[in-house]
Amino acid sequence: MLRIRGLVAGYEDAGSVLEGIDLEVAAGESVALMGRNGMGKTTLLRAIMGLLRPTAGEVVLDGVALTGRPPFEISNAGIAYVPQGREIFRDFTVEENLRLGLLGKHGMATRVPDAIYARFPILAERRWQRAETMSGGEQQQLAIARAVVGRPRLLLLDEPSEGIQPSLVESIATTVSAISREDGTSVLLVEQNLDLVLALTTRCLFIDNGRIVDATESARLRDERGLLDRYLTV
Amino acid sequence: MAAVLIVALDAANFMLALLLVTLGLVILFGLMNVINMAHGEMFLLGAYAVVLVERQGGGFWLALVLAPLALAVIGLLIEEVVIRHVYHRFIDTILATWGLSISLKQAVIIAFGPTAQQVENPLPQTVVILGTLYPVYRLFIMAVAVLAAAGTFLLFYRTSLGLVARAVIANRPMASSLGLNTRRMDRMTFAFGAALAGLAGAVMAPLMSVDPQMGVGFLIPAFLSILVGGTGTLLGTLLGTTLIAGAGTVVASVWTQITAQIVVFALAIVVIRLFPQGIIGARR
Repeated sequence: MLRIRGLVAGYEDAGSVLEGIDLEVAAGESVALMGRNGMGKTTLLRAIMGLLRPTAGEVVLDGVALTGRPPFEISNAGIAYVPQGREIFRDFTVEENLRLGLLGKHGMATRVPDAIYARFPILAERRWQRAETMSGGEQQQLAIARAVVGRPRLLLLDEPSEGIQPSLVESIATTVSAISREDGTSVLLVEQNLDLVLALTTRCLFIDNGRIVDATESARLRDERGLLDRYLTV
Repeated sequence: MAAVLIVALDAANFMLALLLVTLGLVILFGLMNVINMAHGEMFLLGAYAVVLVERQGGGFWLALVLAPLALAVIGLLIEEVVIRHVYHRFIDTILATWGLSISLKQAVIIAFGPTAQQVENPLPQTVVILGTLYPVYRLFIMAVAVLAAAGTFLLFYRTSLGLVARAVIANRPMASSLGLNTRRMDRMTFAFGAALAGLAGAVMAPLMSVDPQMGVGFLIPAFLSILVGGTGTLLGTLLGTTLIAGAGTVVASVWTQITAQIVVFALAIVVIRLFPQGIIGARR
Protein backbone atom coordinates (compact mmCIF):
# COMPACT_ATOMS: atom_id res chain seq x y z
CA MET A 1 0.00 0.00 0.00
CA LEU A 2 2.66 2.53 1.02
CA ARG A 3 5.79 2.14 -1.06
CA ILE A 4 8.86 4.30 -0.59
CA ARG A 5 11.82 4.05 -2.93
CA GLY A 6 15.21 5.74 -2.59
CA LEU A 7 13.82 8.65 -0.58
CA VAL A 8 16.37 11.42 0.05
CA ALA A 9 15.33 14.42 2.12
CA GLY A 10 16.73 16.84 4.67
CA TYR A 11 16.95 20.43 5.75
CA GLU A 12 18.37 23.32 3.76
CA ASP A 13 21.05 24.23 6.28
CA ALA A 14 21.88 20.74 7.54
CA GLY A 15 22.06 18.70 4.35
CA SER A 16 20.18 15.46 3.78
CA VAL A 17 19.10 13.34 6.72
CA LEU A 18 17.48 10.54 4.75
CA GLU A 19 20.01 8.90 2.47
CA GLY A 20 17.79 6.66 0.37
CA ILE A 21 14.96 5.08 2.33
CA ASP A 22 13.23 1.99 0.96
CA LEU A 23 10.24 0.63 2.82
CA GLU A 24 6.81 -0.84 2.32
CA VAL A 25 3.76 -1.02 4.53
CA ALA A 26 1.00 -3.42 3.48
CA ALA A 27 -2.72 -2.64 3.79
CA GLY A 28 -3.82 -3.10 7.39
CA GLU A 29 -0.27 -3.76 8.53
CA SER A 30 1.32 -2.04 11.54
CA VAL A 31 5.03 -1.39 11.27
CA ALA A 32 7.40 0.08 13.85
CA LEU A 33 10.38 2.21 13.00
CA MET A 34 13.10 2.27 15.61
CA GLY A 35 16.46 3.93 15.81
CA ARG A 36 18.55 6.39 17.77
CA ASN A 37 17.75 10.08 17.88
CA GLY A 38 18.94 12.02 14.85
CA MET A 39 18.85 8.99 12.55
CA GLY A 40 15.94 10.36 10.54
CA LYS A 41 12.76 8.85 12.01
CA THR A 42 10.85 12.11 12.37
CA THR A 43 12.34 13.41 9.12
CA LEU A 44 10.98 10.35 7.33
CA LEU A 45 7.44 10.87 8.66
CA ARG A 46 7.61 14.57 7.76
CA ALA A 47 8.80 13.72 4.26
CA ILE A 48 5.98 11.20 3.77
CA MET A 49 3.48 13.82 4.94
CA GLY A 50 4.86 16.37 2.47
CA LEU A 51 6.06 18.75 5.18
CA LEU A 52 9.53 18.29 3.79
CA ARG A 53 10.21 18.20 0.07
CA PRO A 54 12.25 15.13 -0.87
CA THR A 55 15.22 15.79 -3.16
CA ALA A 56 15.08 12.30 -4.67
CA GLY A 57 13.06 9.11 -4.54
CA GLU A 58 9.33 8.50 -4.48
CA VAL A 59 6.44 8.00 -2.07
CA VAL A 60 3.54 6.02 -3.52
CA LEU A 61 0.23 5.27 -1.79
CA ASP A 62 -1.95 2.64 -3.50
CA GLY A 63 -0.31 3.36 -6.83
CA VAL A 64 -0.71 7.15 -6.54
CA ALA A 65 2.56 9.10 -6.51
CA LEU A 66 2.59 11.59 -3.64
CA THR A 67 6.16 12.83 -3.89
CA GLY A 68 6.40 16.63 -3.81
CA ARG A 69 2.67 17.17 -3.21
CA PRO A 70 1.57 19.62 -0.49
CA PRO A 71 0.50 18.10 2.87
CA PHE A 72 -3.21 18.85 2.40
CA GLU A 73 -3.27 16.75 -0.79
CA ILE A 74 -1.34 13.95 0.87
CA SER A 75 -3.80 14.07 3.77
CA ASN A 76 -6.69 13.79 1.33
CA ALA A 77 -4.96 10.86 -0.38
CA GLY A 78 -5.41 8.97 2.91
CA ILE A 79 -2.39 9.60 5.16
CA ALA A 80 -2.83 11.06 8.65
CA TYR A 81 -0.07 12.33 10.92
CA VAL A 82 0.25 12.54 14.69
CA PRO A 83 3.42 14.56 15.15
CA GLN A 84 5.86 14.40 18.00
CA GLY A 85 4.69 16.88 20.63
CA ARG A 86 1.09 16.36 19.42
CA GLU A 87 0.63 19.87 17.99
CA ILE A 88 -3.02 20.09 18.92
CA PHE A 89 -4.66 23.51 18.62
CA ARG A 90 -4.31 24.56 22.23
CA ASP A 91 -6.69 27.53 22.19
CA PHE A 92 -9.47 25.55 20.51
CA THR A 93 -11.96 23.20 22.10
CA VAL A 94 -11.71 19.43 21.78
CA GLU A 95 -14.68 19.48 19.42
CA GLU A 96 -13.07 22.18 17.25
CA ASN A 97 -9.82 20.22 17.08
CA LEU A 98 -11.72 17.18 15.89
CA ARG A 99 -13.74 19.18 13.37
CA LEU A 100 -10.49 20.45 11.88
CA GLY A 101 -9.66 16.82 11.15
CA LEU A 102 -12.78 16.68 8.96
CA LEU A 103 -13.25 20.12 7.39
CA GLY A 104 -10.50 19.66 4.81
CA LYS A 105 -11.53 16.19 3.70
CA HIS A 106 -13.38 15.95 0.42
CA GLY A 107 -16.81 14.37 0.61
CA MET A 108 -16.91 13.88 4.37
CA ALA A 109 -19.48 15.09 6.87
CA THR A 110 -18.30 18.10 8.85
CA ARG A 111 -19.98 16.89 12.02
CA VAL A 112 -17.80 14.90 14.39
CA PRO A 113 -19.29 11.36 14.41
CA ASP A 114 -20.37 9.91 17.75
CA ALA A 115 -18.25 6.84 17.00
CA ILE A 116 -15.08 8.83 17.59
CA TYR A 117 -16.27 9.90 21.04
CA ALA A 118 -17.28 6.31 21.77
CA ARG A 119 -13.73 5.28 20.96
CA PHE A 120 -12.16 8.06 23.05
CA PRO A 121 -14.58 8.44 26.00
CA ILE A 122 -12.36 10.93 27.79
CA LEU A 123 -12.71 13.30 24.83
CA ALA A 124 -16.50 13.07 25.09
CA GLU A 125 -16.21 14.30 28.67
CA ARG A 126 -13.87 17.11 27.63
CA ARG A 127 -15.74 17.96 24.43
CA TRP A 128 -16.27 21.69 25.09
CA GLN A 129 -13.08 22.25 27.05
CA ARG A 130 -10.09 24.09 25.63
CA ALA A 131 -7.52 21.53 24.54
CA GLU A 132 -4.70 23.12 26.55
CA THR A 133 -6.54 22.45 29.82
CA MET A 134 -6.15 18.69 29.38
CA SER A 135 -3.36 16.43 30.60
CA GLY A 136 -0.59 15.26 28.27
CA GLY A 137 -2.19 11.86 27.85
CA GLU A 138 -5.56 13.36 27.01
CA GLN A 139 -3.93 15.70 24.51
CA GLN A 140 -2.23 12.72 22.89
CA GLN A 141 -5.58 10.97 22.58
CA LEU A 142 -6.98 14.13 21.02
CA ALA A 143 -4.13 14.23 18.50
CA ILE A 144 -4.78 10.60 17.56
CA ALA A 145 -8.55 11.10 17.40
CA ARG A 146 -8.06 14.21 15.22
CA ALA A 147 -5.94 12.12 12.86
CA VAL A 148 -8.30 9.13 12.59
CA VAL A 149 -11.58 11.08 12.46
CA GLY A 150 -10.88 11.61 8.74
CA ARG A 151 -10.67 7.82 8.25
CA PRO A 152 -7.13 7.63 6.87
CA ARG A 153 -5.76 4.46 5.29
CA LEU A 154 -2.34 5.04 6.80
CA LEU A 155 -1.65 6.53 10.21
CA LEU A 156 1.78 7.98 10.97
CA LEU A 157 2.51 8.11 14.71
CA ASP A 158 5.58 9.90 16.03
CA GLU A 159 6.48 8.86 19.61
CA PRO A 160 2.94 8.80 21.02
CA SER A 161 4.25 7.49 24.36
CA GLU A 162 6.46 10.52 24.96
CA GLY A 163 5.72 12.21 28.29
CA ILE A 164 2.75 9.98 29.10
CA GLN A 165 2.22 7.76 32.11
CA PRO A 166 2.52 3.97 31.47
CA SER A 167 -1.15 3.17 32.10
CA LEU A 168 -2.18 5.60 29.36
CA VAL A 169 0.39 4.18 26.95
CA GLU A 170 -1.39 0.86 27.31
CA SER A 171 -4.78 2.40 26.64
CA ILE A 172 -3.43 4.20 23.57
CA ALA A 173 -2.04 0.90 22.30
CA THR A 174 -5.44 -0.78 22.78
CA THR A 175 -7.32 2.02 21.03
CA VAL A 176 -4.96 2.28 18.06
CA SER A 177 -4.85 -1.48 17.48
CA ALA A 178 -8.66 -1.57 17.61
CA ILE A 179 -8.79 1.18 14.98
CA SER A 180 -6.25 -0.64 12.85
CA ARG A 181 -8.10 -3.94 13.13
CA GLU A 182 -11.64 -2.66 12.64
CA ASP A 183 -11.03 -0.02 9.98
CA GLY A 184 -8.12 -1.75 8.26
CA THR A 185 -5.91 1.28 8.87
CA SER A 186 -2.19 0.73 8.35
CA VAL A 187 0.13 2.19 10.98
CA LEU A 188 3.70 3.40 10.74
CA LEU A 189 4.90 3.94 14.30
CA VAL A 190 8.06 5.74 15.34
CA GLU A 191 8.69 4.75 18.94
CA GLN A 192 11.34 4.11 21.60
CA ASN A 193 8.90 2.44 24.00
CA LEU A 194 9.29 -1.32 23.50
CA ASP A 195 5.94 -2.15 25.15
CA LEU A 196 4.06 0.02 22.68
CA VAL A 197 5.97 -1.44 19.74
CA LEU A 198 5.16 -4.97 20.93
CA ALA A 199 1.51 -4.20 21.59
CA LEU A 200 0.86 -2.43 18.32
CA THR A 201 3.07 -3.72 15.52
CA THR A 202 3.91 -6.97 13.79
CA ARG A 203 7.09 -5.87 12.04
CA CYS A 204 9.92 -3.60 13.12
CA LEU A 205 12.37 -1.70 10.93
CA PHE A 206 15.62 -0.19 12.14
CA ILE A 207 16.91 3.10 10.80
CA ASP A 208 20.54 4.15 11.03
CA ASN A 209 22.14 7.20 9.41
CA GLY A 210 19.17 7.77 7.12
CA ARG A 211 18.86 4.22 5.81
CA ILE A 212 16.70 1.23 6.75
CA VAL A 213 19.38 -1.22 7.84
CA ASP A 214 17.53 -4.10 9.46
CA ALA A 215 14.11 -5.59 10.06
CA THR A 216 12.54 -8.19 12.28
CA GLU A 217 9.19 -9.46 13.49
CA SER A 218 8.16 -7.34 16.46
CA ALA A 219 7.33 -10.46 18.49
CA ARG A 220 10.98 -11.49 18.33
CA LEU A 221 12.28 -8.18 19.68
CA ARG A 222 12.31 -9.47 23.26
CA ASP A 223 14.54 -12.38 22.31
CA GLU A 224 16.78 -10.54 19.91
CA ARG A 225 18.17 -7.99 22.33
CA GLY A 226 21.18 -7.71 20.04
CA LEU A 227 19.21 -5.67 17.49
CA LEU A 228 17.96 -3.24 20.12
CA ASP A 229 21.46 -2.89 21.54
CA ARG A 230 22.98 -2.29 18.14
CA TYR A 231 20.49 0.26 16.84
CA LEU A 232 19.06 1.88 19.95
CA THR A 233 21.70 2.08 22.64
CA VAL A 234 23.83 5.15 22.36
CA MET B 1 -21.56 70.21 26.00
CA ALA B 2 -22.34 70.36 22.30
CA ALA B 3 -18.65 70.82 21.50
CA VAL B 4 -17.74 67.77 23.56
CA LEU B 5 -20.40 65.74 21.81
CA ILE B 6 -19.13 66.80 18.39
CA VAL B 7 -15.60 65.81 19.33
CA ALA B 8 -16.85 62.47 20.65
CA LEU B 9 -18.82 61.82 17.46
CA ASP B 10 -15.87 62.85 15.30
CA ALA B 11 -13.56 60.61 17.31
CA ALA B 12 -15.97 57.70 16.96
CA ASN B 13 -16.31 58.44 13.28
CA PHE B 14 -12.56 58.53 12.66
CA MET B 15 -12.04 55.48 14.85
CA LEU B 16 -14.63 53.42 12.96
CA ALA B 17 -13.34 54.54 9.57
CA LEU B 18 -9.84 53.63 10.71
CA LEU B 19 -11.12 50.30 11.98
CA LEU B 20 -12.50 49.59 8.52
CA VAL B 21 -9.08 50.20 6.94
CA THR B 22 -7.17 48.40 9.68
CA LEU B 23 -9.33 45.26 9.61
CA GLY B 24 -8.09 44.22 6.18
CA LEU B 25 -4.52 45.06 7.09
CA VAL B 26 -4.53 43.11 10.33
CA ILE B 27 -6.12 40.08 8.68
CA LEU B 28 -3.38 39.97 6.04
CA PHE B 29 -0.70 40.47 8.69
CA GLY B 30 -2.14 38.12 11.29
CA LEU B 31 -3.08 35.34 8.91
CA MET B 32 -0.51 35.52 6.21
CA ASN B 33 2.35 37.36 7.86
CA VAL B 34 2.28 39.82 4.98
CA ILE B 35 2.79 43.50 5.73
CA ASN B 36 0.73 44.93 2.93
CA MET B 37 2.32 48.24 1.96
CA ALA B 38 -0.15 48.39 -0.94
CA HIS B 39 -3.14 48.48 1.41
CA GLY B 40 -3.42 52.26 1.01
CA GLU B 41 -3.60 51.81 -2.76
CA MET B 42 -6.29 49.16 -2.41
CA PHE B 43 -8.21 51.73 -0.38
CA LEU B 44 -7.49 54.21 -3.20
CA LEU B 45 -8.76 51.76 -5.83
CA GLY B 46 -11.95 51.32 -3.82
CA ALA B 47 -12.55 55.08 -4.00
CA TYR B 48 -11.70 55.27 -7.72
CA ALA B 49 -14.03 52.33 -8.35
CA VAL B 50 -16.80 54.64 -7.14
CA VAL B 51 -15.61 57.39 -9.51
CA LEU B 52 -15.55 54.91 -12.38
CA VAL B 53 -18.98 53.43 -11.69
CA GLU B 54 -20.52 56.90 -11.33
CA ARG B 55 -18.94 57.98 -14.64
CA GLN B 56 -20.53 54.97 -16.32
CA GLY B 57 -23.87 56.13 -15.00
CA GLY B 58 -24.17 53.71 -12.09
CA GLY B 59 -25.21 55.27 -8.81
CA PHE B 60 -23.19 55.49 -5.61
CA TRP B 61 -24.97 52.58 -3.94
CA LEU B 62 -24.20 50.26 -6.84
CA ALA B 63 -20.58 51.41 -6.63
CA LEU B 64 -20.48 50.65 -2.92
CA VAL B 65 -21.37 47.04 -3.71
CA LEU B 66 -19.11 46.71 -6.76
CA ALA B 67 -15.99 48.27 -5.21
CA PRO B 68 -15.27 45.51 -2.67
CA LEU B 69 -16.05 42.85 -5.27
CA ALA B 70 -13.64 44.47 -7.73
CA LEU B 71 -10.96 44.67 -5.05
CA ALA B 72 -11.51 41.01 -4.13
CA VAL B 73 -10.75 40.08 -7.73
CA ILE B 74 -7.74 42.42 -7.82
CA GLY B 75 -6.60 40.90 -4.50
CA LEU B 76 -6.83 37.39 -5.96
CA LEU B 77 -4.75 38.49 -8.94
CA ILE B 78 -2.12 40.17 -6.77
CA GLU B 79 -1.89 37.11 -4.54
CA GLU B 80 -1.48 34.75 -7.47
CA VAL B 81 1.00 36.87 -9.43
CA VAL B 82 3.11 38.47 -6.69
CA ILE B 83 2.46 37.56 -3.04
CA ARG B 84 2.37 33.79 -3.55
CA HIS B 85 6.06 33.85 -4.50
CA VAL B 86 7.27 35.77 -1.47
CA TYR B 87 5.52 34.03 1.45
CA HIS B 88 8.12 32.81 3.96
CA ARG B 89 10.28 35.77 3.00
CA PHE B 90 9.02 38.41 5.38
CA ILE B 91 11.20 41.34 4.25
CA ASP B 92 10.50 40.55 0.61
CA THR B 93 6.75 40.84 1.19
CA ILE B 94 7.33 44.42 2.32
CA LEU B 95 9.42 45.19 -0.76
CA ALA B 96 7.00 43.44 -3.10
CA THR B 97 3.92 45.17 -1.75
CA TRP B 98 5.75 48.50 -1.67
CA GLY B 99 6.55 48.08 -5.37
CA LEU B 100 2.95 47.13 -5.92
CA SER B 101 1.81 50.24 -4.11
CA ILE B 102 3.89 52.47 -6.41
CA SER B 103 2.65 50.65 -9.51
CA LEU B 104 -0.99 50.86 -8.50
CA LYS B 105 -0.68 54.55 -7.69
CA GLN B 106 0.96 55.30 -11.05
CA ALA B 107 -1.69 53.22 -12.82
CA VAL B 108 -4.37 55.36 -11.18
CA ILE B 109 -2.56 58.56 -12.24
CA ILE B 110 -2.34 57.29 -15.84
CA ALA B 111 -6.00 56.32 -15.88
CA PHE B 112 -7.56 59.23 -13.97
CA GLY B 113 -4.87 61.94 -13.91
CA PRO B 114 -3.14 63.41 -10.86
CA THR B 115 -5.93 65.81 -9.93
CA ALA B 116 -8.57 65.20 -7.30
CA GLN B 117 -11.91 63.72 -8.28
CA GLN B 118 -15.16 64.57 -6.56
CA VAL B 119 -17.67 62.02 -5.39
CA GLU B 120 -20.96 63.59 -4.44
CA ASN B 121 -22.27 62.91 -0.96
CA PRO B 122 -25.20 60.53 -1.45
CA LEU B 123 -26.72 61.44 1.94
CA PRO B 124 -26.22 65.22 2.26
CA GLN B 125 -28.82 65.60 5.03
CA THR B 126 -27.99 66.40 8.61
CA VAL B 127 -29.65 65.08 11.70
CA VAL B 128 -30.04 66.56 15.18
CA ILE B 129 -28.33 64.53 17.89
CA LEU B 130 -28.86 65.92 21.41
CA GLY B 131 -29.29 69.39 20.03
CA THR B 132 -26.30 69.19 17.68
CA LEU B 133 -26.40 68.98 13.91
CA TYR B 134 -24.48 66.02 12.52
CA PRO B 135 -24.11 64.81 8.91
CA VAL B 136 -26.12 61.67 8.17
CA TYR B 137 -23.43 60.26 5.91
CA ARG B 138 -20.93 60.20 8.76
CA LEU B 139 -23.39 58.11 10.76
CA PHE B 140 -23.75 55.84 7.74
CA ILE B 141 -19.98 55.30 7.62
CA MET B 142 -20.01 54.40 11.30
CA ALA B 143 -22.78 51.89 10.70
CA VAL B 144 -20.88 50.31 7.80
CA ALA B 145 -17.73 50.02 9.93
CA VAL B 146 -19.62 48.43 12.83
CA LEU B 147 -21.30 45.98 10.46
CA ALA B 148 -18.02 45.12 8.73
CA ALA B 149 -16.24 44.58 12.06
CA ALA B 150 -19.10 42.48 13.45
CA GLY B 151 -19.30 40.52 10.21
CA THR B 152 -15.56 39.85 10.27
CA PHE B 153 -15.78 38.75 13.89
CA LEU B 154 -18.67 36.38 13.16
CA LEU B 155 -16.91 35.03 10.10
CA PHE B 156 -13.76 34.23 12.05
CA TYR B 157 -15.26 33.05 15.33
CA ARG B 158 -18.61 31.56 14.42
CA THR B 159 -18.14 29.72 11.11
CA SER B 160 -16.28 26.64 9.94
CA LEU B 161 -14.39 28.77 7.45
CA GLY B 162 -13.22 31.00 10.29
CA LEU B 163 -12.19 27.99 12.35
CA VAL B 164 -10.06 26.78 9.44
CA ALA B 165 -8.56 30.25 9.01
CA ARG B 166 -7.65 30.43 12.70
CA ALA B 167 -6.17 26.93 12.55
CA VAL B 168 -3.99 28.02 9.64
CA ILE B 169 -2.80 31.03 11.68
CA ALA B 170 -2.12 28.92 14.76
CA ASN B 171 -0.18 26.14 13.04
CA ARG B 172 0.06 26.19 9.26
CA PRO B 173 1.99 22.91 8.76
CA MET B 174 -0.35 21.01 11.08
CA ALA B 175 -3.44 22.54 9.47
CA SER B 176 -2.16 21.45 6.09
CA SER B 177 -1.39 17.96 7.41
CA LEU B 178 -5.04 17.67 8.44
CA GLY B 179 -6.07 18.19 4.83
CA LEU B 180 -6.97 21.86 5.13
CA ASN B 181 -6.20 23.58 1.84
CA THR B 182 -3.85 26.32 2.96
CA ARG B 183 -3.43 27.62 -0.60
CA ARG B 184 -7.14 28.26 -0.89
CA MET B 185 -7.18 29.91 2.52
CA ASP B 186 -4.33 32.19 1.40
CA ARG B 187 -6.24 33.22 -1.71
CA MET B 188 -9.52 33.78 0.11
CA THR B 189 -7.85 35.68 2.93
CA PHE B 190 -6.03 37.99 0.57
CA ALA B 191 -9.18 38.60 -1.44
CA PHE B 192 -11.12 39.30 1.76
CA GLY B 193 -8.50 41.73 3.06
CA ALA B 194 -8.44 43.53 -0.29
CA ALA B 195 -12.24 43.66 -0.39
CA LEU B 196 -12.32 45.28 3.06
CA ALA B 197 -9.81 47.91 1.85
CA GLY B 198 -11.98 48.48 -1.21
CA LEU B 199 -15.10 48.87 0.90
CA ALA B 200 -13.29 51.34 3.14
CA GLY B 201 -12.11 53.40 0.16
CA ALA B 202 -15.55 53.38 -1.46
CA VAL B 203 -17.45 54.35 1.66
CA MET B 204 -14.97 57.15 2.51
CA ALA B 205 -14.86 58.54 -1.03
CA PRO B 206 -17.71 61.08 -0.65
CA LEU B 207 -16.00 62.68 2.37
CA MET B 208 -12.48 62.83 0.98
CA SER B 209 -10.72 64.37 -1.91
CA VAL B 210 -10.31 61.35 -4.16
CA ASP B 211 -6.74 61.74 -5.37
CA PRO B 212 -3.76 59.40 -5.81
CA GLN B 213 -2.36 60.33 -2.38
CA MET B 214 -5.50 59.59 -0.35
CA GLY B 215 -4.38 56.13 0.73
CA VAL B 216 -1.35 57.31 2.68
CA GLY B 217 -3.39 59.33 5.14
CA PHE B 218 -5.08 56.23 6.48
CA LEU B 219 -2.27 53.74 6.06
CA ILE B 220 0.04 55.22 8.70
CA PRO B 221 -2.53 55.41 11.51
CA ALA B 222 -3.71 51.94 10.49
CA PHE B 223 -0.21 50.52 10.91
CA LEU B 224 0.14 52.39 14.21
CA SER B 225 -3.14 50.88 15.41
CA ILE B 226 -1.87 47.39 14.66
CA LEU B 227 1.43 48.04 16.44
CA VAL B 228 -0.37 49.46 19.45
CA GLY B 229 -3.19 46.92 19.61
CA GLY B 230 -1.24 43.82 18.67
CA THR B 231 -2.04 41.33 15.94
CA GLY B 232 -3.24 38.49 18.15
CA THR B 233 -6.93 39.24 18.19
CA LEU B 234 -9.54 41.44 16.57
CA LEU B 235 -10.08 42.96 20.01
CA GLY B 236 -6.53 44.30 19.86
CA THR B 237 -7.35 45.97 16.56
CA LEU B 238 -10.40 47.55 18.13
CA LEU B 239 -8.32 48.86 21.04
CA GLY B 240 -5.54 50.11 18.79
CA THR B 241 -7.83 52.05 16.49
CA THR B 242 -9.74 53.48 19.45
CA LEU B 243 -6.55 54.73 21.04
CA ILE B 244 -4.98 56.14 17.88
CA ALA B 245 -8.14 57.72 16.50
CA GLY B 246 -9.41 58.88 19.89
CA ALA B 247 -6.16 60.57 20.87
CA GLY B 248 -5.76 62.09 17.41
CA THR B 249 -9.24 63.60 17.21
CA VAL B 250 -9.36 64.88 20.76
CA VAL B 251 -5.95 66.55 20.58
CA ALA B 252 -6.70 68.00 17.14
CA SER B 253 -9.92 69.55 18.46
CA VAL B 254 -8.10 71.31 21.30
CA TRP B 255 -4.83 72.21 19.57
CA THR B 256 -3.90 71.64 15.95
CA GLN B 257 -3.71 68.73 13.54
CA ILE B 258 0.09 68.85 13.80
CA THR B 259 0.08 68.62 17.60
CA ALA B 260 -2.30 65.69 17.23
CA GLN B 261 0.14 63.90 14.93
CA ILE B 262 2.98 64.43 17.39
CA VAL B 263 0.90 63.22 20.33
CA VAL B 264 -0.29 60.14 18.44
CA PHE B 265 3.22 59.15 17.41
CA ALA B 266 4.55 59.77 20.92
CA LEU B 267 1.72 57.71 22.37
CA ALA B 268 2.41 54.89 19.94
CA ILE B 269 6.10 54.90 20.84
CA VAL B 270 5.33 54.74 24.56
CA VAL B 271 2.80 51.93 24.16
CA ILE B 272 5.11 49.91 21.92
CA ARG B 273 7.93 50.42 24.44
CA LEU B 274 5.72 49.13 27.27
CA PHE B 275 3.98 46.41 25.27
CA PRO B 276 6.28 45.30 22.44
CA GLN B 277 3.68 42.73 21.32
CA GLY B 278 0.88 45.29 21.40
CA ILE B 279 -1.58 45.82 24.22
CA ILE B 280 -3.19 42.49 23.44
CA GLY B 281 -0.17 40.67 22.12
CA ALA B 282 -0.11 37.46 20.16
CA ARG B 283 -0.46 34.52 22.51
CA ARG B 284 2.46 32.18 23.21
